[in-house]
Amino acid sequence: MNSIKLCLQLAFIGLLWSSCVNESTVPETDILHDSWSEIEKKAEGSTVAFMMWQGSPVLNEYINNYLVPTLKEKYDIRLEISGGQGPEIVKLVMGEKQANVDDGQVDMVWINGETFFQLRKIDGLWGPFVEKLPSSEYVNFDNKFISVDFQQPIEYMEAPWGMGQFALVYDTARTAVPPRNLTELETYIKANPGSFTISNDFSGMTLLKVFMAELGGSPGSLDGPFDQVKYDKLSKQLWDFINSNKRYFWKKGTNFPKEHTKMDQMFATGELGLIYGFSEGGVESKVEQGLYPKSTRAYVWDNGTVLNSNFLGIPYNSGNKAGAMVAINFMMSPEGQYNRKVISGRESRTILDMDLLPEEWKQKFENVPKRKYSPDQEVMAQKAIQEPAPEYMINLFEDFRTEVIEK
Amino acid sequence: MLFFVLIGVVPFCAAFIYALLYSFGMVGVLNTGFTLAFWKSVFASGEVLGSFGYSAVVAAISVLLSVSIAMWVALKFTRELNKRFLSFIIYLPLAIPGIVAAFFTFQLFSKAGFFSRIAYSFGWITKVRFFPDLVNDQLSIGIMLTFITVVMPFFVLLFLNVYKNERVEELSKLAFSLGANSSQVTWKVTIPIILRKTWTLIALYFIFLLGAYEVPLILGQESPQMLSVLIIRELNQYDLSKISEGYVVAVIYTIVVSLAAIALFSRKKMTLNEI
Repeated sequence: MNSIKLCLQLAFIGLLWSSCVNESTVPETDILHDSWSEIEKKAEGSTVAFMMWQGSPVLNEYINNYLVPTLKEKYDIRLEISGGQGPEIVKLVMGEKQANVDDGQVDMVWINGETFFQLRKIDGLWGPFVEKLPSSEYVNFDNKFISVDFQQPIEYMEAPWGMGQFALVYDTARTAVPPRNLTELETYIKANPGSFTISNDFSGMTLLKVFMAELGGSPGSLDGPFDQVKYDKLSKQLWDFINSNKRYFWKKGTNFPKEHTKMDQMFATGELGLIYGFSEGGVESKVEQGLYPKSTRAYVWDNGTVLNSNFLGIPYNSGNKAGAMVAINFMMSPEGQYNRKVISGRESRTILDMDLLPEEWKQKFENVPKRKYSPDQEVMAQKAIQEPAPEYMINLFEDFRTEVIEK
Repeated sequence: MLFFVLIGVVPFCAAFIYALLYSFGMVGVLNTGFTLAFWKSVFASGEVLGSFGYSAVVAAISVLLSVSIAMWVALKFTRELNKRFLSFIIYLPLAIPGIVAAFFTFQLFSKAGFFSRIAYSFGWITKVRFFPDLVNDQLSIGIMLTFITVVMPFFVLLFLNVYKNERVEELSKLAFSLGANSSQVTWKVTIPIILRKTWTLIALYFIFLLGAYEVPLILGQESPQMLSVLIIRELNQYDLSKISEGYVVAVIYTIVVSLAAIALFSRKKMTLNEI
């Protein structure tokens, strides 16, 4: 009796084992040599698994109620959304690479320079595919805010999808004149102790990069490859500035919020008076949702703030590269971009170049309602600075912890 | 037995060996081969040791306070707690997951939370920032408060059960009849009996709180962080070449907790034999 049980159990393990080992291997045909219509035909009836950050209600609205049905209708592609950003995507691809999974879980990912850098480091992306997409003709790849991602050339390995500029946010009802440089910031926090902090995440580190560029003396002071000597000198000044003033920070600088969403809430409740974030601080949608008061305004730093693009990439082991390409092409097209702007609000900036667009689309884009709570894109763009090399961010993360949080 | 080994032990061992190999740089896309660098850098920074100490103190204070309060409640209200309504109330917190409890605490005690608003409307504070620091604070009051709320009711139920099963009431009466006064009965009879029967569970709860994740994630601070929060942070960091350091911490934690658990249960066997 026992031996039968044992046999059954062994068989069970065998079954488990074989189901793990028998990965279906998809024959790798080089679809980059196919014509676009052949690629569209291949994509027909397929399912594209899209992993994206789902933290923006207005963008989710665009994806779920516009993009998913439109892709189904136009190309017979089923778009499946799963949640995950930066570290999760990298961990997933790393794990699959380690396990030699040929047919990956995800066909398409939404990434920015940070993740792009990490995925390139582990050879996790497939490409170069962007030139192949018909929509690319409307994109100006000479624009360094599009073709260079955190100082790395994108080399057609990721397709631009959206752009956002970092901005600071304040409430005109509470603050008459917001600070626009580090000297003014010092005066501001001394007058309003407890109402400013630095989140220990992407947004906070971007703010530190903006500060560092100012300490460097010009908007372009951090451009170029990572420079350790420059970093050491500027970061020391930065930590000195923060440490000598942090007693006026939120919680007297003894603690820092883990992420900027917490800061957003504290701004809404009045605990903080000055916050910041990408996509112009997200003020347009947050005022519209009623989270922020109507007297809220976004503005840029005198020395400029970071402007960067976000991208769509295809993991190296995607099982449906054709489908992902067709979906990405549509998301980059004038139609996809225009509807994103209309549905997901004024703060979404298109990656298309107005001069390259056909006249009818150009008109449509120009007639989109203007922003209410943040400066015009053109005004902001004059104060745009490029994302510094990713090593700046990595070092800032480490040192912010050791030099500020733990002190 | 074999099934237990397959379901419980094999995956655990496999995961542990994987973490061990990762911590020495032997697996992982970006690792190149055997190295002690990650272990050295983890020990050099001292952050892990600090986190261990901090987690242990938070867990110990929470367990100590929970047990003391639960003991007091169980002994003071033994009769009342056997009534249906009250016992229902005391079961309620057990159904609340840690993450929800943490959010409750945040909503109630944060500077813009419920109590702060009450204080403001009564004019006790004039600005939000004058409300005392109770969540994400340096003293971890928020974390401990949540731990106690979640764990204390469990101990009340446990103590009530032991009180009944061990016939503590009869033993107390016996002690009284032999001339003990009431504080002697409480301190020399009741509490020792209950603790002797439940100390393994108390110790297990300590280990459980040591590794808690959601509550310190929501209510904790950025430094020092509790162990699980620290480990996850290391595993998710931007610098991919340092992910192995996260596995080092995970390995250390696993070894310490396993040793503690083994020590705990081997002693339990001993006491059983003694009896």
